[in-house]
Amino acid sequence: MTDLAAERVATKPPGVPTGCPVIHLDASPPLEAGSHWQLANELRETSPAFFNTHAQGYWVFTRYDEVREMYQHPEIFSSESITPWEPEPAYRFVPTQIDPPDHAKYRQLISKWFAPNAVNRVSPQAHEIGQRLVAELAHRGGCDFVTDFAMRLPTEIFLTIIGVPNSDADLFVPWVEDFFAGFGGDLEQQQAMGAALGGIRQYWVAVLEARRDEPLLDNDFVSLLMHSTIDDEPLGDDLILDILTVLVLAGLDTTRGQLGYLFRHLAENPDDRRKLVARPELIPSAVEESLRLYTIVFGDGRKVAQDTEFHGCPLRKGDMVYGLVSGANRDPRVYDQPDKFIVERKSNNHLGFAGGPHRCLGAHLARMIMQVAVEEWLRVIPEFSVAGGEPLMERGGGAMMTLLTLPLTWEVEA
Amino acid sequence: MKLTIDANLCRGHGRCYNLAEDLLEDDDDGFVTARGQTIDVPADQVEDATNAAGSCPEGAITLLEVERVS
Repeated sequence: MTDLAAERVATKPPGVPTGCPVIHLDASPPLEAGSHWQLANELRETSPAFFNTHAQGYWVFTRYDEVREMYQHPEIFSSESITPWEPEPAYRFVPTQIDPPDHAKYRQLISKWFAPNAVNRVSPQAHEIGQRLVAELAHRGGCDFVTDFAMRLPTEIFLTIIGVPNSDADLFVPWVEDFFAGFGGDLEQQQAMGAALGGIRQYWVAVLEARRDEPLLDNDFVSLLMHSTIDDEPLGDDLILDILTVLVLAGLDTTRGQLGYLFRHLAENPDDRRKLVARPELIPSAVEESLRLYTIVFGDGRKVAQDTEFHGCPLRKGDMVYGLVSGANRDPRVYDQPDKFIVERKSNNHLGFAGGPHRCLGAHLARMIMQVAVEEWLRVIPEFSVAGGEPLMERGGGAMMTLLTLPLTWEVEA
Repeated sequence: MKLTIDANLCRGHGRCYNLAEDLLEDDDDGFVTARGQTIDVPADQVEDATNAAGSCPEGAITLLEVERVS
């Protein structure tokens, strides 16, 4: 076993079979950027399955086929909890934590709004937002990309597609930052996290009030939810607020994380960057490759709903499992040159947006935002690099990974 | 070559119709319209179809009578 994984060997608890190594791994602390993927590689090549004694203990599956199988069998792998170190979460994300068959009812209602046709409708506004944000930064000759651009762009585009003022990004950016500071497990941040959730919920309460007694409005997602039914019943305020909150939490921080890694790659790899400047039609392929190689999802949790034998592991109802998505996306059993960024990669079937019924609802929106970011940025700032010699740090894999900062620098014409 | 899309596995990732845009298209819910169908792949679209099938995260697309390209 290699370095990162070897430090974490732990004593085998009863019920864990021979052939399933035991580790003690808490992936929540920040590490130097890239460390989580290195760790995932080492775990995957050491064993397809582990038992991790972190928290109450949970199974870990490290390879592509197993992770996909987990996603595709919600009757065994329930989404009742998606954090393996917290089998009984206090929150309820809808439809994230709803299992089939009810899941489809919620999902159908929301997914149309985030389908390619609907996303393309706001594409012109998305490009305008991208152009404005790049123009504001270009003359400065440098910025912290993660804070100044990567968080702001998805927030403004998301608010646009929902149908509320994109200037309210001023409110959402700090709320999302505070929420994720606590979500990854930092106990000192729990109060700020709670306050942020309260702020987000109150915002949507006011949006609901403004639409109360109004007819169905065009291009207005909240109005649509207020006029929708499930099993002939209106959704009700609480459920609508749950849905809106989870969209905020699932959509903004994640896209920021992916953008940070993609732009670090472009800053450090001039050949790839110049290829995209010369051939913008390759941008969607490059975005897809960044979702594979720089997966922000270290792993994804599920709760076992029935006793089952899974790849040699005797899973019991109530056990937690963790699919190591970041291991799957670099699995050499599936990908040639798995650790290399190949702009034109074919057959890129990565699980960066998960799989099965809970496949990321916002995937089409996320792709559009990332494509807009690259296109509009490179048009104005084709040459840039990472500033300073300090190693970049990334948030731990307890929540989604993201670079904590990405200082970029570029020449400004006088 | 023919291409078949398993309706039970397809989850609307949208990789196929983006990569083989002359062969496949999406509906208003973001699913490929050929979900659950088997369609003919013209010779000039075999490469796109192969890439689309290989890019499906669910493994929902199967190519039949394949002379493997690339």
